Amino acid sequence: MSEKLTKALEFANYRSTLNNQRAILKAKAESLLSYSIDGGTFTIDPGLISFVKLLKDEGMETAVLIDIYDNPISVDLDDFYTEILSRYVEATNDYHAEYGKLSKARSVKSILDITDD
Amino acid sequence: MTKGVLMFAHNNSEIDYFRMAVVNALLVKRHLGVPVCVVTDADTYKYAQETLGDEIIDSAISTIKIIDVIHVLARNNQRIYRDTIHKQKHLPFYNLNRCDAYDLSPFEQTLLIDTDYLIMSDTLSACWDNKNSFMMNYAWQDINFSRYLDLNFVSPASITMYWATVVYFTRSEFSENFFTICKHIKTNYDYYRGLYRWSENILRNDYIFSIAGHMINGLEDRSIPQLPTTLYKTFDYDDIHSITSDSELIFYVEKADQPGEYILSKWSDNDIHVMNKWALNRLGTELLEQLT
Repeated sequence: MSEKLTKALEFANYRSTLNNQRAILKAKAESLLSYSIDGGTFTIDPGLISFVKLLKDEGMETAVLIDIYDNPISVDLDDFYTEILSRYVEATNDYHAEYGKLSKARSVKSILDITDD
Repeated sequence: MTKGVLMFAHNNSEIDYFRMAVVNALLVKRHLGVPVCVVTDADTYKYAQETLGDEIIDSAISTIKIIDVIHVLARNNQRIYRDTIHKQKHLPFYNLNRCDAYDLSPFEQTLLIDTDYLIMSDTLSACWDNKNSFMMNYAWQDINFSRYLDLNFVSPASITMYWATVVYFTRSEFSENFFTICKHIKTNYDYYRGLYRWSENILRNDYIFSIAGHMINGLEDRSIPQLPTTLYKTFDYDDIHSITSDSELIFYVEKADQPGEYILSKWSDNDIHVMNKWALNRLGTELLEQLT
């Protein structure tokens, strides 16, 4: 096998690992964006955050939101908004930081943070 | 309402399920902070006392329930255990009492999990006090993300397959009825195998729970609510490279369409189903050291 081909195949291996780690990172972020309160479970996304902010801006203190199971859940809007916003910011910041680290990694070992020993 | 995790652990000649249960119970303690009950048999428990010692067992598990094993059934229920593509064996698999989970659980809210479903996050805490009295998953994800595995239905002409790997249930009328139907299906397994059209002989709780889920809601497919998490899985074609912390593992994941070729995959802060039991057994001691 030529040296050039060996290098190309090593690169293919690196790309597979990189793509796999990116998918895992996304899965981790998605897990962090699930929030449960008062028997209901919500997926935190920009739509939910904006809707809750809108209800707050309309002067509402509590509201009934439909969770991922279609169950109606009554929530205190102030507390709920603070919680989902902070979770969203934390999860996406972590995702951004980890994604950036991956993008800079140029070998399988550096992607996985492993050493030879 | 009391909350806790329930596991079943019956060793066979090669796989030490109880050791896996102890490791997982320590992970549960760390990440979910709830008590663990393990259902086992006298032989398995005696072996665990000899190999692990009472101190470690007691530090991990709050309740141990010892039940009688029907040895003839245990011997006859054989499944293939793979340790990557390089090794496979037919071994007995004693899983006949999972349908008794409702009767055996000491908790009012129970998370029934496989011993090889490693709790590496607090994600499942979202189940507690949920409005749904019963939840289990049909959605699953291979951490390879590019392999194709046809595991979405009980058989191609049948219903959606739910995984009995993780099940949340409360002490309720719904749960009681669900497990009553499970027991009925288990007793009449051959009949339901023909009706729901799968060919394997092995008694599989995934099938029993899928059919019970189908029956309990008037033969409606996908009628049981899913857990608030995806079921992430590695398969018995994969292996474990190393453990770096109580919430991080590195796997050898077999490449899609390239048997025996692997990529390394770092998995952290998310629960994971590890189907290569030998890999878990090999890592058992190291995991125990990390956790005790």
